[in-house]
Amino acid sequence: MIKITNLEKFYRTEEVETIALNKLSMHVDTGEFVAIMGPSGCGKSTLLNILGMLDDPDEGSYVFNDIEVAHFNERKRADLRKHNIGFVFQSFNLIDELTVFENVELPLIYTGVSASERVKRVEEVLDKMQIMHRRNHYPQQLSGGQQQRVAIARAVVNKPKLILADEPTGNLDSSNGNDVMELLTDLNEQGTTIIMVTHSEHDARYSHRIIRLLDGQTVMENIMV
Amino acid sequence: MFKNYLKITWRNLLKNKSFTAINIAGLAIGMASAALILFWVQNEMSYDQFHEKGDRLYVMYNQSVFDGKLWSWNTTPKPMVKALKQDYPQVEGASRQNDANFLFTVGDKHLNLSGSFVDPDFLTMFSFPLVKGNVNDALSSIKKIVITEATAKKLFGNENAMGKTIKIDSVDYMTVAGVMKDLPNNTKFHFEYLMPWKYWEKVNGGEENNWGNNSVRTYITLKPGISESAFNARVKNITRSHSDIKDIDVFIHPASKWRLYSKFENGKNVGGNITTVRLFLIIAGFILLIACINFMNLSTARSEKRAKEVGIRKVVGAGKSSLMAQFLGESIMIAIIAGVVALIIVQLSLSGFNLLTQKQLFIPYKQPVFWLIFLSFILLTGLLSGSYPALYLSSFAPVKVLKGTFKAANAALSPRKVLVVVQFTFAIVLIICTIIVKQQLDYAQNRDTGYAKTKLVYTMMVGNVDKNYRLIRNELLSTGAASAVTKTSAPMTEGWSDTWGYDWQGKNPEEKIDFNVFNTDGSFTKTMGLKIIEGRDIDPAQYPSDSLAILLNEAAVKVMGFKHPVGQIVRRDGNVNLTVVGVVKDFILQSPYDPVKQMIIQGPKSWFNVVHFKLNDKLSTAQSMKMAENVFKKYNPEYPFEYKFVDEAYGTKFESEQRIGTLASLFAGLTIFISCLGLFGLATYMAQNRIKEIGVRKVLGASVMGVTTMLSKDFLKLVAIAFLVATPVAWYSMHNWLQGYTYRIDISIWIFALAALLTTIISIITVSFQAVKAALANPVKSLRSE
Repeated sequence: MIKITNLEKFYRTEEVETIALNKLSMHVDTGEFVAIMGPSGCGKSTLLNILGMLDDPDEGSYVFNDIEVAHFNERKRADLRKHNIGFVFQSFNLIDELTVFENVELPLIYTGVSASERVKRVEEVLDKMQIMHRRNHYPQQLSGGQQQRVAIARAVVNKPKLILADEPTGNLDSSNGNDVMELLTDLNEQGTTIIMVTHSEHDARYSHRIIRLLDGQTVMENIMV
Repeated sequence: MFKNYLKITWRNLLKNKSFTAINIAGLAIGMASAALILFWVQNEMSYDQFHEKGDRLYVMYNQSVFDGKLWSWNTTPKPMVKALKQDYPQVEGASRQNDANFLFTVGDKHLNLSGSFVDPDFLTMFSFPLVKGNVNDALSSIKKIVITEATAKKLFGNENAMGKTIKIDSVDYMTVAGVMKDLPNNTKFHFEYLMPWKYWEKVNGGEENNWGNNSVRTYITLKPGISESAFNARVKNITRSHSDIKDIDVFIHPASKWRLYSKFENGKNVGGNITTVRLFLIIAGFILLIACINFMNLSTARSEKRAKEVGIRKVVGAGKSSLMAQFLGESIMIAIIAGVVALIIVQLSLSGFNLLTQKQLFIPYKQPVFWLIFLSFILLTGLLSGSYPALYLSSFAPVKVLKGTFKAANAALSPRKVLVVVQFTFAIVLIICTIIVKQQLDYAQNRDTGYAKTKLVYTMMVGNVDKNYRLIRNELLSTGAASAVTKTSAPMTEGWSDTWGYDWQGKNPEEKIDFNVFNTDGSFTKTMGLKIIEGRDIDPAQYPSDSLAILLNEAAVKVMGFKHPVGQIVRRDGNVNLTVVGVVKDFILQSPYDPVKQMIIQGPKSWFNVVHFKLNDKLSTAQSMKMAENVFKKYNPEYPFEYKFVDEAYGTKFESEQRIGTLASLFAGLTIFISCLGLFGLATYMAQNRIKEIGVRKVLGASVMGVTTMLSKDFLKLVAIAFLVATPVAWYSMHNWLQGYTYRIDISIWIFALAALLTTIISIITVSFQAVKAALANPVKSLRSE
């Protein structure tokens, strides 16, 4: 599904140039559950942003589903992204002014799904995440675990092929964190590819494979058994 | 998708109530001010544009050289109408118009009403429709009169006025042959009735054929297809070919230009009121712009709060264009709310605005065009104010905002700062203009009039006043109501007559010099409190030959070049010899902004219209006026005693400037208010954004005063830049404005200093409120909340 080759990304300020990704190569197959680990500043998040087409690389190739996307413009990337990729963030990133239902509905609106179909699909996914009873609440009225489940519901409502999760349990206690990891595992078992950035060895054990980064390079890969 | 936008907009508005209030209030006040001005402009532009034959309707103008300058004026000789109709086949209709003032009596109702003498064509040339009666017949005989509906109501109540008889000045009777719809508020005419010209001739002793007496307006309609320039070429010589006057050209001035383009300089049309209209349009545009700038500033200042939403929307698939649509939709929605509030403000303030502008403006709720314009106005405001925030907000990169590393730009020249500078520049320009207009007004008001205008009263010589004048004068003096009485040709505050028909020894025969003319029967200087510089007052009681005596003012002595004016002979119209008996100090007859013009005050062998009397100093004004009223009632019982105080009449000379001054201060105030709303909002968000910095500084030992100063300084810098930009703009425009007045102030430095001080104080108050609040906050709280 994903094949990146010699990917490079620099950050420049007036005085310093920082190399975030240094000729990084890796690949992820369809249906895989991959965890990316590494110390702070090793380039995990940069990699995730490029994989999610929120950011573009400076050098190298990124092939997504057999399409070279490294030099797509913003509009094309947005188009590809909204049909194929769902995001889960550490800080949930729900819109405070929208209810649970409306937050989950958002991706469907941007992909042009009809209103009646939207209701059906949002209800379906809320049901699956067991937060149906909270559908008319606002994010601030929910616990962290519930908020993250809403965020996951939003990520999967469009039935994406790939879910990118950036420390999804970082803001949660261990019990809520485990729930979220179970959810992701279920989704993976139903065929969704998952790439997750994490600091937690515990969470990483849910994945099939761990890619360890240091200074913008892959230093080790562990295959889980 | 649209529903989703609406929802989030609405919730955002509710969630940030103070922000919403500031935003909507600023926008609504801006829109309301702009709308009021637009109503005013629309009214000005619509003057006399409703006549069906308007594209063929003209007024006649004369043009001639005086004192080496080409002058244009639109009073014309009475026989011109006849010549136009007889000798110019291009002319379809023609009518004179002159003011009329008569006592109307119906039963025991006596009313002094003012109207116009016109020729019968008037009714078919102008679109002043008759509710009753026939336009072709209503003024066809000397016994017929047309009255307006309001006049009909005054005279006859709810009865049908048609065919009823009105007694005119207790000498004649006229029959109502037409009832006219009341005049609209956007016409130059303001008559209460129309009388046939024939009646003027009856009252004034027959048809007048004098081409040298320019005293009436002449209106014409041309036949379709005849151009202004073609007719001008033909009509230029009309006076020359009908009289022995050889130095007057005639031209026509179209109805479409009467209101706004009626100023002529050296024979060229140089605009007129259109200058004011343009100025007000600019002000309206700027006020609206300032309100929109407020909106932009506040929206972008809040961008850090909205950034997360933008990021999330982008992550889940929103494109830049759909985000722009969302933010524009928001601003349009706010503009709609503000528009409704503005409409309410306009409705509530319209009566006051009408009082100020002397108009009867109203909101035309029933006209679809109004709603169309109203909606476009809202849409324009929404787009204008939403464009920049939409562009700005939709361009956030999601990677940055969602990571929490996002900080709105704080560059040296951020657009937000530029916008604040623009706002305050305009506000400061308006403040400076207001101060200068007020100062000029004060200056002119404090100018010495040259005569004593307090306790001086005048009344028109109506009914039997002329016949019984001697008795009235003697009784006013003997009862002690007045200390001096004189009759004159015109009120002391108005120049009714001027002529270049004087000749004297040493005059250059090639030169035409125009004099103001005033007449008196004596006691002139005593009644008016004028100072005699040389010679004596006209006094026919003591000097019987004084019937042909004249007084000169200082300006006249100067222009005539007399070394010893007293005793000089001045010849009038080539046949009357007048003797100068005295010279009076210059006094202001017409504009208090102009130098005093040369003037000749003629003795009793002339015409009179007005009685002036000086009230007795020893009695209260009320007492003397009561006594005076009894005297006039006794000798002129049929007429109501109507009078004016000269000082009040003099005060009306300043109305136009006063109006400009009041409007300028009103709009300056509004602009400052809107700008401060914006500044307040900005300061609020700035304080919130820097809350952590303030906390750190306080922990490290910064004082409240220090923090307040630090926060206020940034804004004051912007105000200072605005002041630097505003000063030359204000100086230039006010310098030009003052050129219109001969008698004017110099623009002094302190005006700018005052404006700077005012603006600084206002902005300090606005900003420091938030700055102090931020500085006083407990740093522990702000530092923990990260």
